[in-house]
Amino acid sequence: MTGPAFDTPVPPAAADALVASGIEVAFGGIKALAGVGATVVPGRIVGLIGRNGSGKSTLFNCMTGFVRPGAGRVTLGGADITGLPAERVVRAGIARTFQTPRIAEGADVRTAVLCGFFNSAKTSFMGSVAGFGAARREERRLREEADAVLEGLGLADLRHTEVRRLSMGLVRMVDVARCIASGARFILLDEPAAGLTQAEQETLSRQIRDVAARGVGILLVEHNFALVRSLCETVVVLETGRVLCEGAPETVARDPRVLRSYLGAVGESDEQGEAAA
Amino acid sequence: MTFSEFILRGVLAGSIYVLLAVPMSLLFSTVRTIDFAVGAYALVAAAVAASVGGVLGIAAGLGAAVAGSAAMALIFLLLKRFGCHNHIIYALASFGVATALASAVLWQYGTQSFVRDSFSQFWSLAGIRISPQGVLNLVTALVAVTILYVVIQRSQLGRMMRAAAVNVMGSELAGIPVELIQVGTYLVGGLLGGIAGLLILFTAGLDYSAPLSLTLSGFAAAIVFGIDNPFRALFGGLAMGVAEALAAGYTSGMVTSMVPFLFLLIVLGTSRFGDATVAGDRT
Amino acid sequence: MTFWANHRNTLIAIAAVLIAAPFVASRPVWLDSAVILGVYALLALSVGISYGQAGILTMSQGAFASVGAYAAALCSARWGWPPFTDLVLAMLLPAVLAYGVGRVVTRLSPLATALATLALGSVISIYIRHADDLTGGYVGFAGIPAIGFIDTPLEYAVLAWLLVIAVVYGYENLMRSAHGRALNVLQQDQARARADGIDVARSMSAAFALSAAIAGIAGWLYAHYVSVLSPESLDTNISVTALLMAVVGGAGYVLGPIIGTVLFDTLTRLLPAAELQGLFYGLALVVILLVARTGLMGLGEQLIGAARSGLGRRAAPAAGLPARAAS
Ligand SMILES: Nc1ncnc2c1ncn2[C@@H]1O[C@H](COP(=O)(O)OP(=O)(O)OP(=O)(O)O)[C@@H](O)[C@H]1O
Ligand SMILES: [Mg+2]
Repeated sequence: MTGPAFDTPVPPAAADALVASGIEVAFGGIKALAGVGATVVPGRIVGLIGRNGSGKSTLFNCMTGFVRPGAGRVTLGGADITGLPAERVVRAGIARTFQTPRIAEGADVRTAVLCGFFNSAKTSFMGSVAGFGAARREERRLREEADAVLEGLGLADLRHTEVRRLSMGLVRMVDVARCIASGARFILLDEPAAGLTQAEQETLSRQIRDVAARGVGILLVEHNFALVRSLCETVVVLETGRVLCEGAPETVARDPRVLRSYLGAVGESDEQGEAAA
Repeated sequence: MTFSEFILRGVLAGSIYVLLAVPMSLLFSTVRTIDFAVGAYALVAAAVAASVGGVLGIAAGLGAAVAGSAAMALIFLLLKRFGCHNHIIYALASFGVATALASAVLWQYGTQSFVRDSFSQFWSLAGIRISPQGVLNLVTALVAVTILYVVIQRSQLGRMMRAAAVNVMGSELAGIPVELIQVGTYLVGGLLGGIAGLLILFTAGLDYSAPLSLTLSGFAAAIVFGIDNPFRALFGGLAMGVAEALAAGYTSGMVTSMVPFLFLLIVLGTSRFGDATVAGDRT
Repeated sequence: MTFWANHRNTLIAIAAVLIAAPFVASRPVWLDSAVILGVYALLALSVGISYGQAGILTMSQGAFASVGAYAAALCSARWGWPPFTDLVLAMLLPAVLAYGVGRVVTRLSPLATALATLALGSVISIYIRHADDLTGGYVGFAGIPAIGFIDTPLEYAVLAWLLVIAVVYGYENLMRSAHGRALNVLQQDQARARADGIDVARSMSAAFALSAAIAGIAGWLYAHYVSVLSPESLDTNISVTALLMAVVGGAGYVLGPIIGTVLFDTLTRLLPAAELQGLFYGLALVVILLVARTGLMGLGEQLIGAARSGLGRRAAPAAGLPARAAS
């Protein structure tokens, strides 16, 4: 299963890249993914776009251990991580957000972000119960780090607000903060900007760029093409479980197949006719 | 005793597990929860039947058991009304009902063991002595399962039950009275639990401390071959009876008493019971 | 100041014990009750950690307590271990057992896990009944020595409630750590927990082991205080009672189980007949599930919240009592 020829070459795969290749997933009779690949390189932002139901979230699930692909491989820096349980994938350095944010009831914003630090907490279970100096110091450190993450996303004032009282957009931001907190080398964001105000979107883009600048590879699912265009160097377009095309945002935006399949569906019937011609 | 004798005895004894297992399976299919009080319904039926005596006693016992399950069904409905959709809370509530019923029996009748003799003579089958009561138990279990089979597979009600078990939302949209079916399932649990209690009364007997392990035995029998099908509970119950009889014959008393629990632990430990059925439940 | 903020529940427990102490100490009968109440409080707390925090509806706490109790009995009476050394075994044995079983059963659905704990408890109690050489079988075990210098009911009562306070302190520490937060998350949403990198089965098993260890402490204390043990001493009934106490008091709150314990104990004294205890417990459970699923503590919190907003005052940040709002 290979996709159509690419318009621009794939960025050279660094030794330390997150690569999915030939991923196939079927739910019952439905083939959600039929041979999809994507490469995320440290420090780069890759966009993943496609119509609803084209398999974006499913690809995320495969790359993060939530769904075991029927075929294909996911590798991280060359090491095979296909089918690794989700929690181990996170420990390997890949964090994700959920398209529908999953937020624990009753937790405030800082607590939610603190949860992201689970892997960097070194104190053992029993050590936490005993609560000796080291455990207390670590807890203080985590709190400071969480505050720093919140600061960066402009969420510092909301620290003590219950997450469920936030707007959906802000909840997504908290989720992004949680991902950043995990200290992952690769972050997969599933429609993080949905429901954000213009100002919040700008904060989010700035933060995503900052995170990428620190050498984190980012895979971004987003319907807002303007945002994708401003952030990503490469875009992968999916359609019904296949890679339709891949390349720089400008190239992709001009690709007739994309116009027909994706952008066309958003309502530009002219271009659809043009593409058909 | 011979091997075949153990098997035969096991089958006869297992019929009681069948009666306890079927309601577990039914309730799990329609409500996705467990009624921990099924064993308590059995106790209540046995206690009332023993104290009233005669045919009237049997009727009164069954009535009391169904009344107990009606209380449980009411609590279930109230919980739903109050916005509780957590299956573990339904189970917890049934736990409270079980405790309350057992305590009521203890208060009314004390710590006595409820046991009555029915037949004084034994039959002999190919040289194996079997009690007529055991045969009656088996026949009762088979009749109960057969009736259920006919109802579930052949009747309109059964079709609705199956639909409700598979897809609550869809069934509600299709105008199937899902809630009524769920309440009915609780009541059937009371009835079958009550029948089991009466059979135990005339077989080995039981006392106020029995309910929880009866419930657990029933559940163990229900999941051996897959909980989603009440007819598999038949074979599960019989298998457990046989395992118990064999354990009694070839191992120690300790192992014999552990059989239902070990059954349960082994089945739970090896099956994907949680994953496939209620994995999404930990909300 | 920070201690107050981080250990509100511990301080409240200490204050309550200090206030109650003079009254209790004035009557020998009450001292005796105070020890038993302490045992129950430990058991209920163990349910709080297991069910309230890790979501494991446990029905084997009585069995874990009896493992602790028999360990105490064997170590001190038969093998002559020095005082308090047997506490290590009394905690370790149930914890190891719980961890091992937990690794298998916490992968299951919550209902299945609950059933597995019930089955585990039953297997343990059947074993105790039949292991004549070790446990004295049905007859039981007599002549368990006192814990060194601790001899009078007063001293036992002090020890019991010191243990309760220590457990509350450790519990609070846990809930303010990454592991405590992990428990809160996985109890509500396992997928979310896994995305945080939490090994769900492992975290749950650790919590279950801790809860079993605390039940073991309860059994240890009970064995030494009562000095005789039989299979009925700490049976499934005790497991059920502890579970109901915790749920009625509020299993998700650190102090909820203790509130439930005290309430049940008080009300039991008002009952006309001891046999009615189960009826009352069962009804209390059903009523609390219907009116306040988060238990009395949750109800209290709601009432306070309602009163606050009724008075038009700004709601204070959620802090202190509830374990899961550790801020
Ligand atoms: N758990 C599942 N069971 C069955 N089918 C599924 C499951 N998850 C996804 N699918 C199907 O797989 C296909 C791809 O879904 P996916 O959620 O990956 O799409 P998506 O690109 O993320 O869409 P959206 O933009 O709406 O989020 C869809 O047809 C969907 O119905
Ligand atoms: Mg999606």
